[in-house]
Amino acid sequence: MDMREGPERIFDSVATVAEAVDARAAGAAVLAGGTWIMRDPRRGVALPERIVALSKIAELQRVDVLDDRVSIGAAVTHAGLAQAINGLAGLEGLAAAATGAANPAIRRVATVGGNLCTLDFAAADLVPALLALDAQVELMVADGGRILPISTFLAERAVLLKTALLTRVIVPRAATASAHVRLPLRKAGDYPVAIVSVARASGGAIRVAVGSVEPVARRWTALEDELSGKAVTPEETQALAEKTNDFMGRDGIEAEGWYRREVLPALVRRAFAALQKGGAA
Amino acid sequence: MTVTFQLNGDRCRFHDDPMTPLLDVLRQEKFLTGAKAVCREGFCGACTVHVDGEPVMSCLKPVGLVSGCSVTTIEGLSSGDQTLHPLQAAFEAADVVQCGMCFPGMVMSLSAFVRDNPEATRPEIKTAMSGNICRCTGYERIIDAVADHLEAQKSGRQAKETAHV
Repeated sequence: MDMREGPERIFDSVATVAEAVDARAAGAAVLAGGTWIMRDPRRGVALPERIVALSKIAELQRVDVLDDRVSIGAAVTHAGLAQAINGLAGLEGLAAAATGAANPAIRRVATVGGNLCTLDFAAADLVPALLALDAQVELMVADGGRILPISTFLAERAVLLKTALLTRVIVPRAATASAHVRLPLRKAGDYPVAIVSVARASGGAIRVAVGSVEPVARRWTALEDELSGKAVTPEETQALAEKTNDFMGRDGIEAEGWYRREVLPALVRRAFAALQKGGAA
Repeated sequence: MTVTFQLNGDRCRFHDDPMTPLLDVLRQEKFLTGAKAVCREGFCGACTVHVDGEPVMSCLKPVGLVSGCSVTTIEGLSSGDQTLHPLQAAFEAADVVQCGMCFPGMVMSLSAFVRDNPEATRPEIKTAMSGNICRCTGYERIIDAVADHLEAQKSGRQAKETAHV
């Protein structure tokens, strides 16, 4: 079968992070689950000529649950993550994000690293959940690794990922409860119109993150400031969300920008109602 | 590049682009047309096959990633001349199939689901089907048949346990 013209594509399935970093430095594109990149031809984008696959790197498939943090390998799938953190207090929002994204067959394949490193994927579920939990990411380059806050990573990832490989996500177990609320137009399978993830730290501080509304997920700091030190009902948080709604919605196939922005206060109410019950949603 | 994997129990070699979707290898190279090429973006589930026992979308699986894996298609579940998989038999008994386009994918998704979730409830069955779209919208009868199948398996297990007492 003649699948394509031209020289043979270079496809390295490596066994170690060091080899993957070397291949990356030599210009190879990273292949994890493949659920995004395999749709590139349908977007009119040619597949990369050189690829390094992460699926045989054992250390990237691990989830380590420690007393103070959870370390998640970049090649862990959504289904694998959901299974590993199921029932862990404080991580309900992340578990809900991993359980609710896409559909079951995609969740078995799509990875945590892919969710974080796909620049054009505005509707990624894990990103706002990890922002709300104040996660960190580990990046590896040829001369070593560095750990940086997820918000810094998101701001700089287009440049960082030109040379670095994302190897781990570190989630501190500092939250007492968290919740993740999404609005797909159908009950399942669709990309969500908007996502709200919230987490309450042991001191009572609240973090709120929003995904799928703007091109990149971000914290809702104006709302967090309003909530600081207050005990409020879910209905009151909805009113505060209306007052502080500083999002600029993106237009997309599922919904126009104004709609993504308008649904946020209702999703905030639902998220805080779930948080009151101890998380999840 | 040459990719070697097990396909329905037999050794299979593919020599070409490792980024070729597994679906195209199955349909165009191996003439296994049970898995359907419908949306090609991981949304409809009509191309679902098992890779190492787990249902995945073959349209989004580069064949290079199944090197050394075991792939089972609907043809590998039962050729049709042999005894059907019990779930296939349940679907046939309940006359569930309408146009049939989604069915190979439905069976591949749900056969793994009933294997792993023998006590599943109706909402759990629905969640398991959320990546398999039926344009005939024949969902309720499929759910009925899966529920009946699970019930029958349960009765079978109980009867066996009683017989051993």
